[in-house]
Amino acid sequence: MTDSSLDATDPRTLPGFFAALADGTLLGGVCADCEQVLLPPRPACYACGSRAVTVEPQSREGRIFSYTAVHTPPPAFAADAPYTVAVVELADGGRLLGRVDADYADVSIGDSVELTVREPTAPEREAALDYETDWPVHVFEQQ
Amino acid sequence: MESGYVHMPEPVIASVGASPLGHTDLPGRDLFSLALAEAFDELPAPADLVEAMYVGNQSESYEHQIMYGTLLAEWAGLRHVPAERVEGCAAAGALALRHAVKDVRNGEHEAVLACGVEKMTAAGTSGATDALSAAFDRAIEQRSGVTAPSQYALLAQRYLHETDATERDLAEIAVKNHANAANNPRAQFPEEIDVATVLESDPVAPPLKLFDCAPVGDGAAAVLVTTPDLAADLDRPQVRVAGSGASANSIAVAERDMTEIAGARVAAERAYEEAGIDAGAVDIVEVHDAFTVCEALLAEAAGFAPAGTGYQSYLPPAERATGWTDVQLSPSGGLKARGHPIGATGLLQALEAYEQLTGTAGDRTITDAETALLLNEGGVADAVTVSHVLTTAEAR
Ligand SMILES: [Zn+2]
Repeated sequence: MTDSSLDATDPRTLPGFFAALADGTLLGGVCADCEQVLLPPRPACYACGSRAVTVEPQSREGRIFSYTAVHTPPPAFAADAPYTVAVVELADGGRLLGRVDADYADVSIGDSVELTVREPTAPEREAALDYETDWPVHVFEQQ
Repeated sequence: MESGYVHMPEPVIASVGASPLGHTDLPGRDLFSLALAEAFDELPAPADLVEAMYVGNQSESYEHQIMYGTLLAEWAGLRHVPAERVEGCAAAGALALRHAVKDVRNGEHEAVLACGVEKMTAAGTSGATDALSAAFDRAIEQRSGVTAPSQYALLAQRYLHETDATERDLAEIAVKNHANAANNPRAQFPEEIDVATVLESDPVAPPLKLFDCAPVGDGAAAVLVTTPDLAADLDRPQVRVAGSGASANSIAVAERDMTEIAGARVAAERAYEEAGIDAGAVDIVEVHDAFTVCEALLAEAAGFAPAGTGYQSYLPPAERATGWTDVQLSPSGGLKARGHPIGATGLLQALEAYEQLTGTAGDRTITDAETALLLNEGGVADAVTVSHVLTTAEAR
């Protein structure tokens, strides 16, 4: 893969990554040299510096690595608070932060969750930059 | 002079100043004017000394103002000097200091002003929340609605899970920092508090509560970095800048080891190496306790505490776990109680160390302190860390 060919259809760019996610596919970068998973994909591996990064579908299943609830939200998300967010360790080794569709009190470290994807809500579209408007939002659901 | 190679001057801090901290009725440039006035109280005018200027500043969201290098140089009367704003969220102040240190060290300038300013109260609490969230990865983190407290809560939750630390231990860190601030006339919150006050305060992002969080506040600070010869000519007390280190880490919290703050470790070790010391030589550290858990994590990353015991920072040295050094943490009261006007914070840390090492820290003086470490972070935890080792002139 050469970087000079990057365009908005390439999953190593954000538009390419979110287009695949909208279709239900979570793509990760995988370093050919050290196996580090990079979410979202990008041209270089942060673990070892290699530029031999391939793009591969990632399991959407994982476990809660850490979690909290947002009681003092940014203005764009005020109506949703308090809401639960977590760092999830996915089955293929990558980690991803996202909302959890559960009350804080019902979540524990180690819980099994699955990544789902939805369209942005009206307030989310309003808070989005022009190029983000149609990007999907991922949410973890408890298993 | 030595022959055969170019002599590189070792930078010193020759003067410091700060504005009042907290909720003020002054805009950023005016807060800067107060900090500058204190720093130059016993010196010639800035225009007669300063050859370059760096301004740490987090965000234009608060005052809708960029070009802070140009603006503050003008307000200081510094015509046509190189001047620029430095951005690294809450590490902006120490980045400004580091640039000044390098300019003096490499012989480019004899006197450089490092300053920082933030007018956080201009935008209200929700404005500050929004401005600070710009420090997170836009694509995943910001769009998920995380905030500064919730990002650090993710670290805290994991830290409590992996170690013997409890929410009460984190509360004790806040109590210790408020007790230190009670002796600091510059502090935003110079009041002692008790553990119950912390534990019973409003949830912000569990396990973190309101009193685990450094406050929103205004402030400015100014630090004059010079050659030792110039500081001597000016008859100023000197503090050596013996080492400086910086390191960036992943912007997204999820991609890091969340309890081993590797970027901070690298930054601290680089500063130790330049200074020719190890962690055990540090008498005082000003840590970046934006949230209580940061103090625990940074105590471990900087080599003061064995893994999993950093939360004991509130205990007297004799009561800490085996392997801890005798370092005293944040005699200023830290970000929690001294205050955390984002772009100025790294320079307020330098100010505290200057006062401690020159014997002007009053009732909060740490006796016989010769070496101080500053740890200033931006983004979430070690997204960027800047560290400096400062020592007394006598320690040379
Ligand atoms: Zn790699």
